[in-house]
Amino acid sequence: MAKFLVNRLVQGMLVILGVTLVVFVATRLVGDPVQMMLPLSASAEQRAAFSQELGLDQPIGTQFLSFAADLLRFDFGDSLWQRRPALDIVLAKLPKTLQLIAAGFGFAVAFGIPLGALAAVRPDGLLDRIIVSVSLIGLSVPQFWLGLILVMVFAVNLGLFPTSGSGSLAHIVLPAVTLGIPSMARIMMLTRSSVIAELNQQYVRTARARGLPFRRILFGHTMRNILVPVLTLTGWEVISAWAGYTVVVETVFAWPGLGMTAMNAINHSDMFLLQAIVFVVAVGIVLVSILLDALYKLIDPRIDLA
Amino acid sequence: MKPDTMLKAALLGAAIAVASPVLAANITIAIGSEPSTLDPQQRDDGAERAVTDNIFETLLARQPDGTLVPGLAAAMPEQIDDLTWEFKLREGVTFHNGEPFNADSVVTSVERIIDPAYASEQMAYLATIAGAEKVDDLTVRITTKAPDPVLPARMYWMKMVPAAYSSDPAFAQAPVGTGPYQMAAWNHGEDIELAAYPDYWGDAPQIEGVSYRFIAEGGTRVAGLMAGELDLIRNLYPEFLGAVPNSTAVPGLETSVIVLSTENPVVSDPKVREAMNIAIDREALAEALFAGLAEPAHGQLVNPKSFGFNPEIRAYDYDPDRAKALIEEAGATGKTVTLVGEAGRWLKDRELIEAVGAYWQEAGLNVEIHIEEFGEYLNQLFDKDHRPDSIFVVNSDELLDADRPLTAAMEYGASYASNADEEMAAQIQAARAETDVEARKALYAEITRKGHDLSYLVPLLNQEDIYAMSDRLSWTPRIDAKLLVKEMSVSE
Amino acid sequence: MTATHLATIPAQRPRPAVFRAAGGFLAELSKDKAAFAGFLFLVLVVLAAVFAPLLAPHDPAAQSVLARLKPPAWTARGSAEHLLGTDMLGRDVLSRLLYGARASLLVGTSVVLLAGSFGVLLGLVSGYRGGRTDTVIMRVVDVFVAFPGLLLTLLLVAMIGPSTPTMIVVLAFSNWMIYTRLVRGIVMSMRTTPFIEAAEVLGCGPRRILQVHVLPNLVPPLLTLAILEFTNILLAEAALSFLGLGVQPPGTSWGLDIANGKNYMLLAWWPITFPGLAIALTVLSINLFANWLRVTTDPAEREKRHARGRLRLLRRKAAANG
Repeated sequence: MAKFLVNRLVQGMLVILGVTLVVFVATRLVGDPVQMMLPLSASAEQRAAFSQELGLDQPIGTQFLSFAADLLRFDFGDSLWQRRPALDIVLAKLPKTLQLIAAGFGFAVAFGIPLGALAAVRPDGLLDRIIVSVSLIGLSVPQFWLGLILVMVFAVNLGLFPTSGSGSLAHIVLPAVTLGIPSMARIMMLTRSSVIAELNQQYVRTARARGLPFRRILFGHTMRNILVPVLTLTGWEVISAWAGYTVVVETVFAWPGLGMTAMNAINHSDMFLLQAIVFVVAVGIVLVSILLDALYKLIDPRIDLA
Repeated sequence: MKPDTMLKAALLGAAIAVASPVLAANITIAIGSEPSTLDPQQRDDGAERAVTDNIFETLLARQPDGTLVPGLAAAMPEQIDDLTWEFKLREGVTFHNGEPFNADSVVTSVERIIDPAYASEQMAYLATIAGAEKVDDLTVRITTKAPDPVLPARMYWMKMVPAAYSSDPAFAQAPVGTGPYQMAAWNHGEDIELAAYPDYWGDAPQIEGVSYRFIAEGGTRVAGLMAGELDLIRNLYPEFLGAVPNSTAVPGLETSVIVLSTENPVVSDPKVREAMNIAIDREALAEALFAGLAEPAHGQLVNPKSFGFNPEIRAYDYDPDRAKALIEEAGATGKTVTLVGEAGRWLKDRELIEAVGAYWQEAGLNVEIHIEEFGEYLNQLFDKDHRPDSIFVVNSDELLDADRPLTAAMEYGASYASNADEEMAAQIQAARAETDVEARKALYAEITRKGHDLSYLVPLLNQEDIYAMSDRLSWTPRIDAKLLVKEMSVSE
Repeated sequence: MTATHLATIPAQRPRPAVFRAAGGFLAELSKDKAAFAGFLFLVLVVLAAVFAPLLAPHDPAAQSVLARLKPPAWTARGSAEHLLGTDMLGRDVLSRLLYGARASLLVGTSVVLLAGSFGVLLGLVSGYRGGRTDTVIMRVVDVFVAFPGLLLTLLLVAMIGPSTPTMIVVLAFSNWMIYTRLVRGIVMSMRTTPFIEAAEVLGCGPRRILQVHVLPNLVPPLLTLAILEFTNILLAEAALSFLGLGVQPPGTSWGLDIANGKNYMLLAWWPITFPGLAIALTVLSINLFANWLRVTTDPAEREKRHARGRLRLLRRKAAANG
């Protein structure tokens, strides 16, 4: 286990280093934040002074060295847009995104697994067909569009939920459903096929022949065996939502988390804030994937992690 | 009292509190983004102003129609000499934390905002101010670096902060001013709440409390209003006028304009430039794009409510035949003219640009429209060496004075002017320093007249600000676009 | 019946093998109704994209200030001139829909080709060379897989400057790894099979072994993967364009049209509904078709399907009989 952790941590560092490098190159070589940050009426002198203040007039090598030195101290500089430390902003917005992901995947798992299992009871039966069709549709609808339609129907027309923002429990319902639907569909499909495969196993047939109630077989034995693949999938779904799809959902619902902050940072050419966001997201990905691997080991000690 | 009786009493109390009309006098306003600070002197941010305009006050204020009147000053300032203005202060005003408002507060406010280390983004409005000195507790003198006729308007911009508490780091999060509303709560990511300040020196406002929510997207704001979550939104799309519960509009500060280059081949000919002006049917544009809530610009960039507006100049006529003839005469028929613009920064910008391009095309020019990404657009707007033939921009006249718009669009070498008229540049500089009101007015009349006759610009529309409101809110919007909650009222 | 059928064939001119294969393919496909419908819809989308200039009733970028937000033809205020209505700039929704198919297919195909060829190449090298090369390549793949996908894509596109080519390159940059993993896995497992070992012993060069023996076995799973990846790219393109970082005006894209229409969605449902449906139906069709393809090209799955079909037939017969 210790060797595995060290291995994964080293790899995680590589990932984080790679990501920050890519971001550094992209932001310094391509964008010009000076133009974007100052008002239309600013003079050439004001522009030059601003550039100097940020150190953007230095050669790129010097910029990178100071960037790397700051990074080691977790100093990402001040956000150009908000004028306060970029990392502070990111950490302040983090809880909102975590709430959204927790709610979205709570929904996805709570509906995906039972519905998938239900569909597997009679493959090709009516219920199965309905559930499979719904999940296919869930996989095909673009999230941002789904979000807009949900707002139009459930918030404006029916008045059941708020149209945007955060604050109460009701606020999180629509964004969480929007974020969770594609993942719910995938979890449902995987649960279904795993349960079908599992129900064809010898031990299930034997158990049924011995007259054990079907429900007990399904929830007692089968579920434990499909936990590993479903957990893996859910983990990767969480990672992919965390690595970007929250941006889309948060933008649609004006949910004040990391994703909306990332969009704001992009619109304000706020490269320091962007660096901090990408860094925190990359660290999150590494942590979640290590956690995931460690969890397998706990569930099923036979898995070889080296 | 037994515990369960207490509980019942508490529940009853809560029920009464929920049902009481006090809560009904709370309103919710949408602003475009969450302010990064509520320090009113640091940023130049419309969302922050929407909130702090109700917490803080200025020495001079404006009536809804734009007239300057005394605010925290007891009277209009007196000019002592070319560089010095004396303000008498209102008596008995206190900040929300109990600090008195007096000469010390004014001196602190001035010195704080002009301190280079403080790096206020508002210096663009206040750059001429040199300092302030206390004469007595209720008298202050403000000095400028050069003669500055616009100083009173600048003091309408500068918010007054308390002398002691403003240096506390907590000030940016929990600000304290003299205004009718005080800070109640800032739930980051959710809303900012203000409550009426009971000891306000002026008339007590009708609305008890206001909550500001941060919604960037125009469509989302409308959805919130229509779902009954919001009471007031600004920048309503004109198309929604019939769909929202209630709406109102007022001539605003923004004027759209196209800056023509006098140095580029085809547009160097004044005849072509005139043709480009009279080829456009501004009335039709106002009607079609803004549902009539815009007015053809009066042949100049200066806002009709601003100092320096020249009432003698009329809007350019719409005369497509003469435009065609002029272009023919100049031998420019079929010649290529580029029109540079952006999309999404200002209301209906792209539509306006494309419509103008179509009018020019009709007049015989070959128009190439370049809608650039905003960064690239700014590069071209400020590129002194390569002026585009024509470039679209929207000017906002916050100080209601001709100086800023004319400096930006017509002073050679200053900002994004596209002429090489050094004489005009000198005139604009002279007007900036002319403290005699009549002489200054005369200078601006001359500058705007010349700009019009030589068609340096294609002024398009003076746009109106459109607000949508819930049924219960009543309010008359202001020309300066400030959302002053004390001027609003609700009916149930 | 069978005899007459067979008898007629020699009388006709022999059909080229391609047509026969296509015929067989369609015959097999038509047994799965959902997949067949999906396939038909995809053909429709491709035709729309290819022949957009001929099919579109209007210039997709032509604005008309007077004809803004006109509803679809079948509604009360609609007119036959704009079948699916117009958007807030008076542009024809149907024409934009047809042209929008081009953006989706162009981006989808280019990214899959670009990322696919790069990923497959690395996978072949990694799987075939093994050893240290393999370790290095797979480590690189691991690092890339852990990159914050969509967020990094957004950031790179925003910084480089949003445009269709930028989007294609950046999407390819962040989506090649899955091909490498698949190909490497297959090559690895095949290297140990007797017939490759035999070929090596007989002195076949690596290039020839790859070409003749490995590639044919790779095609079916790769094809399925590429098609599924295509849906991911399609959705990513729509999301990027929706956020303003993809296709730029005056170009058209379904995602961009939804972004344009969203501020007016409470007044006009049609400018966002049709492009949204177009994306959803296209992705759904691809999913249905890919699912069928996967089963068809996988012998084990085919067997299962066959068995299920027979079972159903038997049940039906049994039911009919008694």
